[in-house]
Formats: sequence, structure tokens, C-alpha cells
Amino acid sequence: MDQKNQMMMTGNLAAAWGARLAEVDYVPAFPITPQTEIVEALSKWCGTGELNARFVTLDSEHSMMTAAGAAAATGARVFTATSSQGLLYAFEVLYTVAGWRAPLVLVNVSRALASPITLEPDHNDVLAARDSGFVQIHAETCQEVVDSILLAYRIGEDPLVCLPVLVNLDGFGLSFTREPVRLPEPEAVRDFLPPFRPAHLGFKASAPQALGTAVLGGSTYSYFRHQIHLASMNALRVHEQAATEFEQCFGRRYDVVEGYRIEDAEDVLVMSNAFASKGKAAVDAAREDGRKVGLLRLRMIRPWPADAVRRALRRRRAVAVLDQNLSPGQGGILFQEVAACLYHDPERPRGLCSFIGGLGGKNISEGEFHAVFEQTAAAGKQGQGIGPVLLYTEAEHREMEQLQFLAHDLKTGR
Amino acid sequence: MAGAARGAEPSSTNIKEGPAVISVRFHGRGGQGAKTASRILGTAAFSEGFTAQDSPIYGAERRGAPVSAFTRIAKGPIRERGIIICPSLVVVADASLIGDPAARVIEGIDERTAVFVNSPLTGEQLHTRISLPGRLTTLDLTEVAVRELGKRSALSALLGAVAGRLVGLRSESIDHAVAQELADLGVDASIIQRNQTAARHCYEAVSLVPVETSVHRGPGPTPLRVPAYEPPTRGTARITAGPNSAIRSVSGWRTYRPVLRPDLCNGCWLCFANCPEGAITIKPDGKPAVYYPHCKGCLDCVEVCPTDAMTVERETDVTNK
Repeated sequence: MDQKNQMMMTGNLAAAWGARLAEVDYVPAFPITPQTEIVEALSKWCGTGELNARFVTLDSEHSMMTAAGAAAATGARVFTATSSQGLLYAFEVLYTVAGWRAPLVLVNVSRALASPITLEPDHNDVLAARDSGFVQIHAETCQEVVDSILLAYRIGEDPLVCLPVLVNLDGFGLSFTREPVRLPEPEAVRDFLPPFRPAHLGFKASAPQALGTAVLGGSTYSYFRHQIHLASMNALRVHEQAATEFEQCFGRRYDVVEGYRIEDAEDVLVMSNAFASKGKAAVDAAREDGRKVGLLRLRMIRPWPADAVRRALRRRRAVAVLDQNLSPGQGGILFQEVAACLYHDPERPRGLCSFIGGLGGKNISEGEFHAVFEQTAAAGKQGQGIGPVLLYTEAEHREMEQLQFLAHDLKTGR
Repeated sequence: MAGAARGAEPSSTNIKEGPAVISVRFHGRGGQGAKTASRILGTAAFSEGFTAQDSPIYGAERRGAPVSAFTRIAKGPIRERGIIICPSLVVVADASLIGDPAARVIEGIDERTAVFVNSPLTGEQLHTRISLPGRLTTLDLTEVAVRELGKRSALSALLGAVAGRLVGLRSESIDHAVAQELADLGVDASIIQRNQTAARHCYEAVSLVPVETSVHRGPGPTPLRVPAYEPPTRGTARITAGPNSAIRSVSGWRTYRPVLRPDLCNGCWLCFANCPEGAITIKPDGKPAVYYPHCKGCLDCVEVCPTDAMTVERETDVTNK
């Protein structure tokens, strides 16, 4: 392995390094597991002067996002981070700052939502924010976390976009996991990421402006919200250009989706985030067993890369979308989006399957991936869809029954 | 203990080319250093040019609760993530964890798994006490920690060294990794040096057992379960069995137990006030009494006792307290 300039680093530390290398001006912060290590590192660096930024602790995530948006509206480069319940607490402000067209970067460390309450990851938190107007990039590795934050500033600050960007990494799976990371050189980052000089934002006493003003009657509102939509759609081609320059500067290439052993694949598994690594290992194992399968990883979720998804999935026998989220009363969130963009393709897959796995961080075992590939192949042969199928095993249910016994039937008292 | 080639020259030949991965699972109690041990192993492997990945898993628990940590080492990319179900090597910092189903120590262990247990017993002795498949090797790390570091829970460097030796990493790599990881935690240079000395000792002293790379075992599809709708009395996350923590013994958590010497006790009740578990009561004579099933062995009572009346005894029967 080429280890030049690499170091062992958690996803959380990689996120902090992303902000440090982007030379952010302002970091409003509020702690929450499993994100806290990010703001702790930034707090330390602001204290030592290694990062020349103003670090402020706020009284809640709602205040934190308000401060982040307000600072970005003055033309400052802003970074902040949260997770799960914290993201939901900040929710109304997400829509507001997107409407201000204030391009800050928010890192979300995915953690499943209450209740019941847990600390481990799934994507109901970050996907709840998918309609807010934030651009969303979902990372698979710690390296991708630091790189995606640099790309996020570059894309978000582009005059064709001017939107806040959310970079997602999984709690535990990346946040507390160390793996080799190559940090970009600060000089090269300065070339890749020019200073933030927005034309529509700024703070000058002699030139006051009002932002996010009241509009009634609907047509004005329609116009401005549609502008947010167009800005988000622009992020697809801005990402393309930024990714090309990023590759020239740093030698690593990121696209809006990533195909793994997909060229000759009959059946394709669609995943996102850290568990996509496990999906790739499962593809390798299935290939050893003679199954022609591949994996498509969704990296940019907003804007939705419909063309890239369609190109990757057409002409397949079957496609399985493994959602690490659950919309009660519907099923997998990303399944719906994949299905919608394939509808009009005359060569759409014969079978489209929906799996729900990894809720609350539940492990997806090799045997469960095997079951996914088998059921997907069968669906492709029969030309019909299945799901949503919950990845949850007989063995796990026996443990669940044992817990139910402890919770309800155990006689207490000494 | 098949293949225990004590004194054999360590090498990195255990770690093969291609997708083969050495997966090491650490089990400890919060505060014993399992997480840092996984990092020491990861850093040591990384410094020898391998790809490494390390991660801990813990909940909202306190000191003494079961903690797991995982290190994967390979020549190529590592695509597995999270918990290790089928480990190459299991490193157990505290033998009392073996019998705790919640700690999942025995999960995935078969006759080809190497298992290290921190214990004063030999592998053979331990085998007669507990049913544990796998290639067992032991060393009394707690004794080394007490002797060399004066602190019974300072096991991270020792666990890292033992794991490093078993998977075939070099002594110098462990040395370097101990320094780096403990410095990251803000440990003083002099204490780091003592950790390195103790780690070197454990590296040399542990009896070797073969450690195999994890292989794709082709388990076949796992049977999935489709849970049926159940009434909200069962389908809601709630507990109706009343306070049952009273019948949950945490005795197994202790490596050491606090023991009162009544002749030295001045009846100040500081131990009673500081016990985080409410395991200390006051007898009619005004002296404290420890209710051991609820004592997790944090020894806060020993720390606060102004007259050193609370003393420390090592738990000897590691499997059944």
C-alpha cells in the first residue's frame, strides 16, 4: 500500500480536517453523539490558532443553524455539524437558510431517530432533510469525508448553485472508525477552493439588505422556490466540473454515483454510505460463487442524479435497492426515487426489489447479502418486483423474544 | 494448545496478499483500554505498510460495562466494516466477560479462532473451567499492569502488544504505536515509557497460537424473518416487568473488590455517598456494608476513603463470582 502522507484517522477527525483545510471563518457548535469529536477537534484548533476561525457554542441546534445561516449571509465561510435528533431540532432553519441561498457546509453524522432511542446509524435523519434545498453528499470512507467537504464548499459557493451543502457520514461505521486518510496539501486546497466572495450576500452598514422577505399570493413564492430547485439541479454539472478539477489537484475522482463491478453485472444492488463497503465485499463474495452482480453507490442524493442512475441501471435483469431507512406506510425512501427515474426507460430492469436493512445500525451479514442476491435474481427471472423486505433474521428474532420476556414476563423481586 | 511456538521469530507472514483480512476482536470493560488497544494494533499494522481499520462499539454505558473494539489488517483494501462476526483472534481483557451473554465474547468463535484471555490461569486450566472452542492462550496482564504501572486497569498497551505478537507484527511497531496512541490521549512521557516496557514484556511472554486470516466461508443465505404485526402491548418499546435491575448481578464486572476493614473505618459515610450504584448501605452501627451483587468494582469508595479502611482484593475466581 502506498502510504505516503497517509495517517490513521476517524471519519469525525476527517470531517474536522475538511473544515480546517477549507479555512472556514466561523464554527457554531452544539455537541451530540456521535458527532461531538468533530466540534471538539475544531474547538481545540481554534484555541491553539491552528485554525483561524471563530468558534461559538450555542444553546441548541436550532440556534446553531440560525447562527450558521446568519454568518454565511454576511459572507463568512461557515462549517457546522450535527446528528439525528439535533438535525431534526434544527429543521425549520434548514429550509430557511436554503432560501437565503447561503452556502455553508453542514456535516450530519447519521444516527437513527427516536423512538425507541439509539446511538447507531441509519439514514432517516439525513433523508428527512432531503426536501430542504440543501445539496446532499453521502460519504463511504473517511477519505471521502474530507474530500467531500472540500467539494461541498466548491459546489455550494459556485454562483450557479449558492446553496448550503450537507455532507453525511455514518455514526460508528465512519465516525469512530479509523482508516488510512491522505490529507490534501493546504496550498493545493487554496488553489482548488478560492476565497468565498458571494455577490448576493454580505454585511455593509451603508448598503442594507433584507433577506428571505415575506411574499404573499403564491406566484412570487413559486418563483423563488423554483429558483432553489434550478440551483440544486445546476449542482449536477457544477459537481462534474469540480470533480474533474479535484482529480487534477489531488488524484482522486468522485462522481455523483459510483459503480462497483457493474460493467457486466446482470443484477445490481443499490446502496449508499459506509455499508456500501460491505455491499462491495458481498459483491466480491457473490462473484466468487459465480453470480454476475455489481453495486451502484448513490453519492449525491440531492440533486437526484436521475440520468446517472438510469444509465447505470438500464438493461439489467434485476435491481435491488437496499434502503438503510424506513418510511412507515411506504417502505424504502431511495427505492421510490430509483423506481421513478426508471419508469420511462424502455430498457428498465425486469425486476425491481426493495430491501430495508441496517436500521439502527443493525449489521448486514454475509448471509443476508446472499439472501438479497438470491431473491433479486429470482425476481429478475420472473420479471416482477418484491418488497419492501426487511433484513432481519430468525436468530435476531429469537433474541427479540428473549428481550420481550425480560421486559414483560420476568418476575421481579429478590 | 496446538502450534504454540513460544519464542518463534515474529513475522508478518500471517497477513496474506489479496482479500484476506486478519480480524481481531477485543473485549473489555469500559476503562480497561480495549478501544486504545485496537488502535495500538491498527497503528502498528499501518506503520508496517498494511491497510488497517479500527473501531470501537459502545453504548451509553459507564465504566465497567462491556466494550468491544475491532481491528482489521490486510495487504489490500478492507471492505468489511463494523462488528466482526467471525474473528481471526479474540482478545479478552477480562475473563468474567466470557460468561456474560450481553458481551457476546463467544460469538463466531470456532476451533480455528485464536483466543487470548487475560488470566492468571493457563489455557489448559481455563479450558476446564469454561467451554470455549478455539486455540486458547493466556497471560496475567493485570498482574503485569499492577507491577509495572501500578494501575490494574491500564491494559491498553499490554493488550495491543499481545495482539500484535499473535498476528505477527514487529516489537518495534508496537513500541511506536504505544507511544503514539498514549501520547494522543495526553499520557505523560514517563508513563508512556513504562507502558512500552510492560508491553515489551507481554509481547515476549505470551505463548503463541496460530492466527488465521478470515476467509469467505460461503455460509449460504441467512433465513430472514418477516415479523408479524403484534398489538401495541408488545409492538411498542416499553417495559412492564417492573424494576428488575435489582436482580441483575454486576459481580462479574469486578476485577477487584472493595473490602472494608472496620477497625480503620471512622464512619464518615463518604463511600456510601460516592457509590454510583447504591451498593453500599449503612449498618445500625454506622459502618458501611458493600452489597456485592450490585458492586461493579469501580473502587470509587476506595479512592474517597480518608482512612484507607476500604481495601482492595483481586477477584480470583474469574468465571463465577
